[in-house]
Amino acid sequence: MSEMSDILFEEARRRLSQVRNIVAVTAGKGGVGKSFVSTSLALALAERGKKVGLLDLDVHGSSVPIMLGLKEEVRAGKEGFRPVRKHNVEIMSIGLLTKDSPVLIKGKDKMDLITSLVALTSWGNLDYLVIDLPPGTGDEVLWVIRVIRNLRSAGALVVTMPSMLSRSVVRKSLRLLVDEGIRILGLVENMSYFKCGKEEIRPFGYGSGEDLAKEFKTRLLVRLPIEPRVEKAMDEGYPPYLASNELKTTFSSLAAAVESLLQKA
Amino acid sequence: MHEWSLAEAVINSLIRLAEDRGATAFEEVEITHGEIMELDTLVFRTAFRELSKGTLVEGTRLVLKEEKAKFKCNNCGAEWDFETVEKILSEEFSVIEEPSGTKESALHFLPNLAPALLKCPSCKSRDFDLASGKGLRISKVVMRT
Repeated sequence: MSEMSDILFEEARRRLSQVRNIVAVTAGKGGVGKSFVSTSLALALAERGKKVGLLDLDVHGSSVPIMLGLKEEVRAGKEGFRPVRKHNVEIMSIGLLTKDSPVLIKGKDKMDLITSLVALTSWGNLDYLVIDLPPGTGDEVLWVIRVIRNLRSAGALVVTMPSMLSRSVVRKSLRLLVDEGIRILGLVENMSYFKCGKEEIRPFGYGSGEDLAKEFKTRLLVRLPIEPRVEKAMDEGYPPYLASNELKTTFSSLAAAVESLLQKA
Repeated sequence: MHEWSLAEAVINSLIRLAEDRGATAFEEVEITHGEIMELDTLVFRTAFRELSKGTLVEGTRLVLKEEKAKFKCNNCGAEWDFETVEKILSEEFSVIEEPSGTKESALHFLPNLAPALLKCPSCKSRDFDLASGKGLRISKVVMRT
């Protein structure tokens, strides 16, 4: 007969199919800034007047609650978990439930955990759901692929940084997305440069974002600077993408690009 | 209060099942629920009855069976039950139920979180398996065609 994973997977899929647009932020490579990009994109979309949800599916290394200084406890009503609201974004994360505890969870149990979390979360009426994924091409990524594969208005945003290593690992993610029929909205090149006066310094070199975009016939949507004030912003409890005007403008244009790309779906 | 969400998921699943098999109604549905979910059967029955109104699941006789939870440590081999879990479960990992404001363990909502919220009572390892009692399944249906 029907197992919980099947019953709740269909419920999770039903709930996500009610969201107008879904953006999965992935990379393959760790440490390139997926959570920073996911969080900032969600906040930038909300600032454009959209109803936005942010789903953190990084089971082992959840970063969104830390990035946004979330201390709130999760609440639940008849309809399920009520996401935590901050900066006009509805946020749900395993990290809100596990706090500082290590999450030792394996294989099918992890898939079932994600399924239950999504099936029991009530997002309300969302224009956009941004999904923050962990590094690699493991269970979490596979779960999202299965759910968004047949959704009309969904796609992946792929984060990279300008290094040979990143290019090589992120290429695997892009191949997986292509093989599984997931729409690639574009690339974001993080830690691309820093400004020294008027000069743009590229400490990690050139080309990863542009080369991958060309190879996979997609677009490099934005390049993000290295901005030390991001750390300070998080310490002081304000959204990291407001650390500098340049970051704010860049994320605003990324949000506009994502909106426009999904409208063309 | 997760009973309402679970009942909704079960009803949707039963509707899909009936459509697949060409059934028009259910005589009886048996749901096996894991002990660790601490399902409030009264609330689940109410939710099932209310949410199934107007669907082909309405009026189905609902049988609920609880499955005992069994834990086994992969490090020291210790085995334990849910009664032990209730003694060691920290309030830190709670969800606030609304509108009552009472605290419920996150484990009841997400049984697969066990290794993040618990340790082996004997050796304190998190490397253990929850062999049974964590899920919810439709274990038997009697359909009308």
